[in-house]
Amino acid sequence: MYAKKRYSEKATLKKTLAMHSERTNRHKADDQVQDGAVPAYLLDREQTARAKVLSNTIKQKRKEKAGKWEVPLPKVRPIAEDEMFRVLRTGKRKTKQWKRMVTKVTFVGPGFTRKPPKYERFIRPMGLRFTKAHVTHPELKCTFNLDIIGVKKNPNGPMYTSMGVITKGTIIEVNVSELGLVTPAGKVVWGKYAQVTNNPENDGCINGVLLV
Amino acid sequence: MVLYNFKRITVVPSGKEFVDIILSRTQRQTPTVVHKGYAINRIRQFYMRKVKYTQTNFHEKISTILEDFPRLDDIHPFYGELLNHLYDKDHYKLALGQLNTARNLIEKISKDYVRLLKYGDSLYRCKNLKKAALGRMCTVMKRVSPSLAYLEQVRQHMSRLPSIDPNTRTILICGYPNVGKSSFINKITRADVDVQPYAFTTKSLFVGHTDYKYMRWQVIDTPGILDHPLEECNTIEMLSITALAYLRAAVLFVVDLSGNCGYTIAQQSALFHSIRALFANKPVIIACNKTDLQPFETLPESDKKLIEEMRKEAARAGAGLIDGPPPDEENCMLPMSTMTEEGIIAVKNAACEKLLQMRVEMKMKSKKINDCLNRIHVAVPKVRDHKERPPVIPQGVLEARAAENKAAENKRKLEKDLENENGGAGVYSANMHKHYLLLDPDWKDDIVPEIMDGHNIADFVDADILQRLDELEREEDERAAAAEGMDEDEDMSDQDLTPEEAEALAAIRRKKKLMLAEHRAKKKTADNKPVVPRRHDIERQFNTSRMGRHLSNLGLDPTAAVNRARSRSAAGTRSRKRDRSEGTGGDGMEVDEQANKRMRSRTRSLSRPHKEALPGEGFKDSAQKVKAMQIGKNAVKERNKDARKGEADRVHYNKKPKHLFSGKRGTGKTDRR
Repeated sequence: MYAKKRYSEKATLKKTLAMHSERTNRHKADDQVQDGAVPAYLLDREQTARAKVLSNTIKQKRKEKAGKWEVPLPKVRPIAEDEMFRVLRTGKRKTKQWKRMVTKVTFVGPGFTRKPPKYERFIRPMGLRFTKAHVTHPELKCTFNLDIIGVKKNPNGPMYTSMGVITKGTIIEVNVSELGLVTPAGKVVWGKYAQVTNNPENDGCINGVLLV
Repeated sequence: MVLYNFKRITVVPSGKEFVDIILSRTQRQTPTVVHKGYAINRIRQFYMRKVKYTQTNFHEKISTILEDFPRLDDIHPFYGELLNHLYDKDHYKLALGQLNTARNLIEKISKDYVRLLKYGDSLYRCKNLKKAALGRMCTVMKRVSPSLAYLEQVRQHMSRLPSIDPNTRTILICGYPNVGKSSFINKITRADVDVQPYAFTTKSLFVGHTDYKYMRWQVIDTPGILDHPLEECNTIEMLSITALAYLRAAVLFVVDLSGNCGYTIAQQSALFHSIRALFANKPVIIACNKTDLQPFETLPESDKKLIEEMRKEAARAGAGLIDGPPPDEENCMLPMSTMTEEGIIAVKNAACEKLLQMRVEMKMKSKKINDCLNRIHVAVPKVRDHKERPPVIPQGVLEARAAENKAAENKRKLEKDLENENGGAGVYSANMHKHYLLLDPDWKDDIVPEIMDGHNIADFVDADILQRLDELEREEDERAAAAEGMDEDEDMSDQDLTPEEAEALAAIRRKKKLMLAEHRAKKKTADNKPVVPRRHDIERQFNTSRMGRHLSNLGLDPTAAVNRARSRSAAGTRSRKRDRSEGTGGDGMEVDEQANKRMRSRTRSLSRPHKEALPGEGFKDSAQKVKAMQIGKNAVKERNKDARKGEADRVHYNKKPKHLFSGKRGTGKTDRR
């Protein structure tokens, strides 16, 4: 334990020493080019910029229609059904196997009431129900503990979305009223989407990134 | 009574250290090995245990810290105020409160994660949950680390506070800086307070202890107070003001007559009057210090007047509490000089006396004393007429008393009296050599060496050493003469022996040779032949006639021995019974002898058939005995067949083993087993 500490101290020491010796180091002289700087023979060409902007908005509109959003985690690992559900044996002789228990973290709304236990096919255990998520604002770089309003989309399938299963990559809607965001029109924003960035069943908490 | 000893508070580790300690303890004290292939319950239990263990450890450590730190509202107000001034009550309470919330948070975390662990279905998941739990607990502790650092500092400072008992007899010394308070306490107690020429040398309270009238008194030295209103006082001055306000003590206000401290008597008097309010209900004594530099008499009139006013005030303050005789103004102001040490004891005694009176008064007024007073009752007979009834002392007692008094006058001087005269127990040591009886009385005080020339003198000291020397010399002479005599006869020849003696000698020698030969023969054949113990003496070799022959060979009369042997043998006991009874004549002895004989007969089982009913066994006749033996054998037979050791040896067999009587059949019925 002390060895680790010493190692980390040594590493930081080395870094600071390297930084101090930067003064005497010599670097290649780089001709820095500013962003947007254009070579002399291209100076008169402006129109392409505006065109590019236009085509970008069109592309965005198209994507919106298609329902494709830019999210921090575009691809997630697919989760098989036998990983998601655990088979429960019921009946006098424990031979019936039609019940399933969800092994991942779920969200059920505040007005949720279970179906009669005899007819319940999917069981969402109370221990795995979460109501709050730790959401990070990507620009402000700070994390808030916000209430979950609902599960918008689970990339593994619509069945999971309707069940409220939260896995990595799920889009959830969170209550951002405490952030005090206001629309340009003057209305208070109280719900925003966030994407889950960790495996909640492994960490015991839901961490996400706000989609601004 | 709460112990005002803050040295027992446990060390508060810093945030990082705390985390390190707890995590390493978890790692050492819980099982460390778990594999993927174990049953899921076992894996879950393994990780749940770790989380729980970490939480309980955090809980324990934080609880001890929270309990050890004193609660400012529960301790004596003097200490409460003192700690408030030193450490700021709010900050202190906040720090402890934060620690408390941290403890609760950690408990909640542990509960949540143990609940989650119940749903862990793989080792990887359980492990991650445990990592998350421990990590969260450690973050909570890290957030609290500034409070921990503050508490550690507080603890270190608190442990160095002087242990002042607020309820016992105390003298409080106060005054301007540099007037000589610390020098005073150095003189009357063993406290070693720093004395320096600059102001505010004493920065905190110091305690010393002194004795007066066989009681322990606390003397508290305070930092100097300057004359400004309470709000402007800094922390150090507040310490003295707190002490003044909350301790019921005798106040010793020290005034510097010479102005050496840098403040005039007027300023000191002004201070006295401004803190006058704190002297309510306390005996006050004004000590005028540094009289060696400026004696009281030569003071200018204005200063004397100021001091007079102070004295009046002091007397008034003191009078408020003792009702009865008018205030003793004389005692309120005393001159002293800590440099020359004159007047110091007087000041201390005056202060102690005043406080003692006050405390006794208070105790008398309180309710508790009535319980004691109730138990003491001196009964006095009621006066009913004018007759004088003086106590009657018998004449003999009076005479004895008179004789005693006279004896006391003529008493010889005891060692104890001598000791008391010469300074008491610790100072005088008695002269042990005074009463030695020596040849020359001048030798009484001589120092006797213990070792001389490498020898112990004690070895050579003896009262009758000369006598012994004479005896020794005589012995030596005799031995020398005998030795000479010895040298002449070299050989003990037979010339000196008479014929009988020679015969006896020869017989002895022969016998000896015989015995030796026998012994050697026995030894040689010991491995070849078994040695038959004498008990089974089949040949009847050892009998009385043989013994008789041997004895007569030696020249002794064997008849007595033979008779005794014969009488003790069992053979012919019965026939002898009647002889015996006639012989001894019916007294207790005969019964004992017969009993002895009978017991001996039982041990000699070979000489008696076992079916014969011997007297003492309880059988009517031998038939009955035989039957009894048969019954005994029958009872044992059955048990032996069962291979049982005895009646109590019970064996329980498993009459219905489970594997034969339970279980389902794969196919078919279970009617028969």
